[in-house]
Amino acid sequence: MNAIVPLLGIETEYGIVREDQAESDPVEESMRLLARCEVKSVFKAWAYNRERTHLDMRGFQVSRLAQDEEEDEFCEKDRERPYSYWEMKSDRVLTNGARFYNDHTHPEYATPECRTVFDLVAHDLAGEAIVGECVRLRNQDLGGDCLQLFKNNTDYSGHSYGTHDNYLIPRKLPFDVWVRHLVPFLVTRQLYAGAGKVGAERKNEDGFTGLQLAQRADFIDSVLSIETMTQRPIINTRDEPHATQDYRRLHLILGDANMSPYATALKVGTTRLVLTLIGAQKLDAPFELADPVADVQRVSRDTTGKVPLKLLSGKTVTPLEIQEWYLEQALKHTRLSGDTEEWDWVTREWGRTLDDMKHHPENLADRIDWAIKQSLFSDFMAAEKLQWEDPILQSLDLEYHNLNPERGLYYSLRNEGSVVGLIEQNKIDDAVHRAPQDTRARIRGQAVEQERDHIKNIHWTGIEFNNGEYLDLSGLITKKDVVQVLDSNKEQFAWK
Amino acid sequence: MEMNDPLRREEKKESTPDRKDSGPSKPDVNRPGRDDLLKRMKKVDPKQSEKYKQRTGQ
Repeated sequence: MNAIVPLLGIETEYGIVREDQAESDPVEESMRLLARCEVKSVFKAWAYNRERTHLDMRGFQVSRLAQDEEEDEFCEKDRERPYSYWEMKSDRVLTNGARFYNDHTHPEYATPECRTVFDLVAHDLAGEAIVGECVRLRNQDLGGDCLQLFKNNTDYSGHSYGTHDNYLIPRKLPFDVWVRHLVPFLVTRQLYAGAGKVGAERKNEDGFTGLQLAQRADFIDSVLSIETMTQRPIINTRDEPHATQDYRRLHLILGDANMSPYATALKVGTTRLVLTLIGAQKLDAPFELADPVADVQRVSRDTTGKVPLKLLSGKTVTPLEIQEWYLEQALKHTRLSGDTEEWDWVTREWGRTLDDMKHHPENLADRIDWAIKQSLFSDFMAAEKLQWEDPILQSLDLEYHNLNPERGLYYSLRNEGSVVGLIEQNKIDDAVHRAPQDTRARIRGQAVEQERDHIKNIHWTGIEFNNGEYLDLSGLITKKDVVQVLDSNKEQFAWK
Repeated sequence: MEMNDPLRREEKKESTPDRKDSGPSKPDVNRPGRDDLLKRMKKVDPKQSEKYKQRTGQ
């Protein structure tokens, strides 16, 4: 196991729309969607009193989290709705240890804590399957394919919603060390982690047209910030470890929702690997970008990976060179994590992908989302004699992410075998119902399975039962921790 | 959950970057499935993205 970065998770907010209505109401639709979830779960029992969203990694606390004026107005109207906060959130905790709920009017699936990258990808896909099944059931009620959900991050009109990747890391290393070593990597990992976006929607737009690497790049405005709805940062500073104070949870909100499981695996795998190098203090002094926020957009607008980025030294470096540097660092410290299979897969595929980007970019079109789109849309434009500026291209871009199996363009490519699947279907089916067996999610999932009617409230960090007993999960980090709790509480908790 | 299955699948495809059989093969755009997909793409509403309005999330 990886002792430095022991746990991983992904949260995905989905886009939601009723196509049979001129004015789709996301609050109503998200509630109706959650109501159609047939996977066994604990409903409306999330322990919000255990959340600590206002603490900042830099050692202070904010009084409130910001949102823009438009969202303030929406929220004002939401307060007049005949629903309680709990009803609108519609929280569910599932037998696989995941959380499925409504976050700021977007259905959100948060995977259970996973030990390995491949478990995490399987659970991300399980979430997709669960959400997709809810859509099918809801449309069955509606009598047609009225409701559509999208695993993407933008509405092309300036509204973004997130896909957050999370990593448990040790607190003992100062936060600024993590930041300094991580920023150049994060600015450039969109070379393979970007989901691709047609057009641009940044304020004071530069007139860009065509395909960007990433959906989220236009929405990154700062290096560090606790905010998630305005001034979105390269590194979010919310200090909410969901664990003991020995750890931090690195909460990255700059990433895209990947349809390609290979891209998800490479995104999370490389990030974990770089964090492992930083945590082990094995990483040499990294590049110092002169303007990392502007570079996020600069990198996204160049699909060659060769755009020059200015360094504080006055020299320049390309995104590909930055990624190659991090890979070289990893190869100098082979198998630092103890999980040799994962480490080997990540370094091998990372190298192959960077090499393809440099010499054979067309080869990326079977596994990297933006490149899949580039290939597919280029074929379409050639056949129809269109340019990137044609409005149908953005609609096709959106349709790539549709969860409807009859419409989603990524799903069509997957069905025809044009893209790398990576995770076998039986693993995904298993992850719909079963938690990773080597993390605390196993205990949470079993509690939901066996004791659903006796749970008063539930959270990542613990479970309170109706009889007053509280099961604290905050200190369960390793597989050994999990097994120890299961072995030592057999009488207290019947399901074991 | 075991992680060895995806690894085994990838190991079958492993080779040096310079070899033509390196990794998963690129899409065959000439296959009939791609033609069908391109035809289906023509039916997508060009205004779909314009109608797609969301609220800001996190």
